[in-house]
Amino acid sequence: MPPLETTIDPITKAKTTAVNGSLIEARGISKHFGDLHVLDNIDFALSPSEVVCVIGPSGSGKSTLLRCLAFLEPYDDGNVYIHGQLLGYEQRGGMRIRASEKAIDRVRAPLGMVFQHFHLWPHRTALQNVTEALRLVQGLSRREADREGMAMLKRVGLFDRAHHYPASLSGGQKQRVAIARALAMKPEVMLFDEPTSALDPELVGEVLAVMKQLASDGMTMAIVTHEMGFAANVADRVVFMDEGRIVESGKPETLFRRPASERLSQFLNTWRERALT
Amino acid sequence: MFDFQLLFEMRGLILQGLWNTVWICFLGCLVALGLGLVLASLRLSSPRLVGPLVATYIELCRGIPLLVILFLLYYGGPSIGLRLSAEIAGLVGIGLYGAGYFAEIYRGGFLSIPQGQLEAARMLGISRLNILRRIQIPQMLQLIVPPSTNQLIILVKESALLSVISVDDLTKNATAMVNETFAVIEPYITVALLYWLIIETIARGGYALEKRLAQRSRMPTPSSSDTAGATHATS
Repeated sequence: MPPLETTIDPITKAKTTAVNGSLIEARGISKHFGDLHVLDNIDFALSPSEVVCVIGPSGSGKSTLLRCLAFLEPYDDGNVYIHGQLLGYEQRGGMRIRASEKAIDRVRAPLGMVFQHFHLWPHRTALQNVTEALRLVQGLSRREADREGMAMLKRVGLFDRAHHYPASLSGGQKQRVAIARALAMKPEVMLFDEPTSALDPELVGEVLAVMKQLASDGMTMAIVTHEMGFAANVADRVVFMDEGRIVESGKPETLFRRPASERLSQFLNTWRERALT
Repeated sequence: MFDFQLLFEMRGLILQGLWNTVWICFLGCLVALGLGLVLASLRLSSPRLVGPLVATYIELCRGIPLLVILFLLYYGGPSIGLRLSAEIAGLVGIGLYGAGYFAEIYRGGFLSIPQGQLEAARMLGISRLNILRRIQIPQMLQLIVPPSTNQLIILVKESALLSVISVDDLTKNATAMVNETFAVIEPYITVALLYWLIIETIARGGYALEKRLAQRSRMPTPSSSDTAGATHATS
């Protein structure tokens, strides 16, 4: 990937606010679906090489937060900056208007995303899933893209599955292909939206192992997850959300052992009870 | 007794009817297929502005008989300065009428592709056009070929209505043969067979295309012995 500075439009850059140190910074973002406040004035930042796990009950807004950070879900209020550049909107004549698709693509180029349901393209092999964007977006030749794609599949332990179609892969393998597909574009940040929630329990480990490896390689990651053990072991910071708000945020050892809020204690107790039954 | 001699004598009329039916249907269906794709894309890409207009057009196509559309184009056209030959009115009529149906077939195809697949592509920076070309169309083709084949068959059969606006198609020329020779069975059996041949060709073409598309996508594992992945497949 070329250095980001070369891809920044100087006019857009001037209109955005520089953010110190953070790769992604969300300031006061809100999202409504009709009367329902899914996100309510959220502040969130992600520094280089930081691994943040977002936990919380279903419907707390975790996935919506991640989707807003990627502008897959347009946020209503507040701002999201990636490398200091406003994502999704631009200021014109004192008004905030939605940015063009091209501008959105350019600003969120440093992001890679992995979804709960993998979202592989079923008519393409594992390798083709990985190489598609390399060819279409980065303009690599088939040979170069295949070489890069195979390297990515090797990284997630699926070298031997390159020519298999998604229908013949297990859930864990599909998710690993999805990770390889995102990694192929050399993102600076990986966003994971409940990457193991759709997997059989015995297939969760292989995906978490890949993510763990990524974390130890220094990848910046934001992970929405229900895997408390993973969050405790891998995250630098854990964010607990409820009813569209960040209730608590901090180091995993503090958050899991000495929750400050009643709501988090309740949530952890429920989780422990379920884990024991 | 079936009079083959009569058919031989009338071969010019039969071939002319066959030719007219074939080229008008061919071009009319091409218009319907192309315009249908444009309508479906407009309806989905602009649900608030253009979408309702397109939806109204589609409902009108489905609510008005082809014969009435043909009458409007051929007999009503001149009153608004639109003077079309019977053949062109027929071609345009089939195109406009069929487009409404194809638009809905395409829309169903587009909607059948999970939104998440498109989001994954957007996150990788793949442009809308490339998403359409490389992700949506290849997958929806497989789904839309059977209903599209069916719709093409219906359009060809309905093209017999062109005879009412004086197009020298198979049906009109068969009737002309009846009027000229007073033989009813031979002309109508012959054109029935010819319609069946055209439709059978379309149906077989559709099956062949379905088969080819199925081979190109959702392929099984390269090696049938290598089934470790399939054993654990969860979805």
